[in-house]
Amino acid sequence: MITESGGVKMAKETLAGEYQEILNNEKEMFMTGNEVVAWAALAAEADFMYGYPITPQNEIMYYWAKLAPAFGRGFLQTEDEISAGFTMLGGALVGKKTFSATAGPGNILMQESISMAEMMRLPGVWIIQQRGGPSTATVIYSQQEFRLTTTGGNGEGMRLVYSTSSHQELFESTIKAFNNAWKYRFPTFVLGDGYQAKMREPVVLFNPKLRNWEIIAAEPIAMKSGVPYLERDPVHLRNTFNIEEELYDILSGHLADFRRMKQEVVEWDEGGSEKADLLVVAHGIVGRAAISAVKTVNNQGLRVKYFRPITVRPFPGEALRKIVSEEPELKILVAESAYGQLLSVVKEELYGLANTIESYLKPGLGITAEEIEEILVRLGKKEG
Amino acid sequence: MQRILEAYVGEYASGKSENAVNRSLQLIKKGRKVRLVDLDVVEPFYTLRPLKKILEQMGIDVLAWETAETIGLGEAAIPLKKETIRALEFDGDLIFDLGYGIDGCNILKIIKDSSGEEKEEKIKIIMVVNITRPLTSSVPLILKMVNEFEEVDGLINNTHLGEETTIELIQKGAIMVTEVAKKLSLPVVATTALRDLASRIGEFDVMGNKVWPIDRYMSKAIW
Repeated sequence: MITESGGVKMAKETLAGEYQEILNNEKEMFMTGNEVVAWAALAAEADFMYGYPITPQNEIMYYWAKLAPAFGRGFLQTEDEISAGFTMLGGALVGKKTFSATAGPGNILMQESISMAEMMRLPGVWIIQQRGGPSTATVIYSQQEFRLTTTGGNGEGMRLVYSTSSHQELFESTIKAFNNAWKYRFPTFVLGDGYQAKMREPVVLFNPKLRNWEIIAAEPIAMKSGVPYLERDPVHLRNTFNIEEELYDILSGHLADFRRMKQEVVEWDEGGSEKADLLVVAHGIVGRAAISAVKTVNNQGLRVKYFRPITVRPFPGEALRKIVSEEPELKILVAESAYGQLLSVVKEELYGLANTIESYLKPGLGITAEEIEEILVRLGKKEG
Repeated sequence: MQRILEAYVGEYASGKSENAVNRSLQLIKKGRKVRLVDLDVVEPFYTLRPLKKILEQMGIDVLAWETAETIGLGEAAIPLKKETIRALEFDGDLIFDLGYGIDGCNILKIIKDSSGEEKEEKIKIIMVVNITRPLTSSVPLILKMVNEFEEVDGLINNTHLGEETTIELIQKGAIMVTEVAKKLSLPVVATTALRDLASRIGEFDVMGNKVWPIDRYMSKAIW
């Protein structure tokens, strides 16, 4: 239909077809990270997003709200992040694939519902686009929500957290996040940041089914069909227990499930010189800067490796420890846009080894490849 | 000499600001007096902020906030400078950089309504299109986006993939954008491409549209 302005209004089905073609055709697209997330949610067959605006994740809501109606999927802006988190769980209970996106203070408000999801083993996907903190601080960028996102709940709840470093990885990790959330039933996160949210780069969107990726379907958790006791076991989801032993039994089961999941989902990226004097450990966008720096100094003849955890929880600690324990002289550099959050995990994972650990910590401030390069050149110089 | 009044609209990250900046510089080089007005009030708002000083040194009269003058980059409020509201009171060309979507156009209306001038001057609305942006990646989707703006007077083919841009891709963009323009009886104002690519394409693209060489400024202004 031609409208007054000369443009065209499209039927819902035609529009859905156009969007589906974009995924199916696997053409290279020029996109921002926030858009990539919305398209990944579409590709992962997410049903519903509940959210509350906060920078720098807003375009995830904007694009999801634009794309979803063509597929009969939904979006609701709730009154705050507390509500967004709990409505997500409600959606998951009745068998919908739900997600949200937030940052900073919004991430704090969602922790209560996330903690409940940890206790009741409810699935959900949370996209965190880290901003500067504490409190409102900057809307721009940081890696200061690493600890909050990986361990933010009360009572040692367990979760799966991906930290991405490119739009391609953001797209793929978001699809994996949906699959693994509904497969293992731990709250699942994609940890991005304001730079990744806003920066633009080419990415190949795809339809996971056409690449033979299994898409895990969501099923009703609480409102299953059939008469309880007669036709099926009753569903008894609890986040309250009367005695210590009862809780301990449940949590022991969660721990065992988490350890099993770890073997199947843990991911990292390593590379650089085969034999090295130095190892850079960094995650997310700083990991990308680190890899670029390592490549440059490798070309200058410095023996440097990199290690970039992709799942930051569960953390690929065994893989990191293996690299470090094989080379007792290896010096380690941890770089992050935070005051030692990744650093403390690295120290814990390498406990007992005698290797020196240096750090480059810039809370709430970007770290460039050139900065890391300069440190690597300085640290890499042989004494004498 | 009639003054040039143009507003650049389009999909988010389509290259509106880059094209507005380059158009301003193109006019400055012709010896014209140019004012560039940052009306991108869609958060993170006022994307020209970090470029203000550089552009002023190049001779453009820039109406934009400076970063240090703002709080929360649009999250807390969306203030319009009082000078901006009366932006039309300037004896030279005016280039407006609008935020994405229909909100951008609404701001332009505020400026028009606040103008004290008697005679109504037409501001040309130019939609910038990059066919590697998903929501403008096919003829039907571009037509749909044109429909979302109340009026569009011309199209610019700004198809690129950042550092991975090829001449073939730019020409593909030219073909698609020209097809849309024909359907809507609109002109294709130009195909814009980075200087070295533009020189390799020549004066006109494969569809006979003018090629405007541009330089990258917005890479200095991610936030």
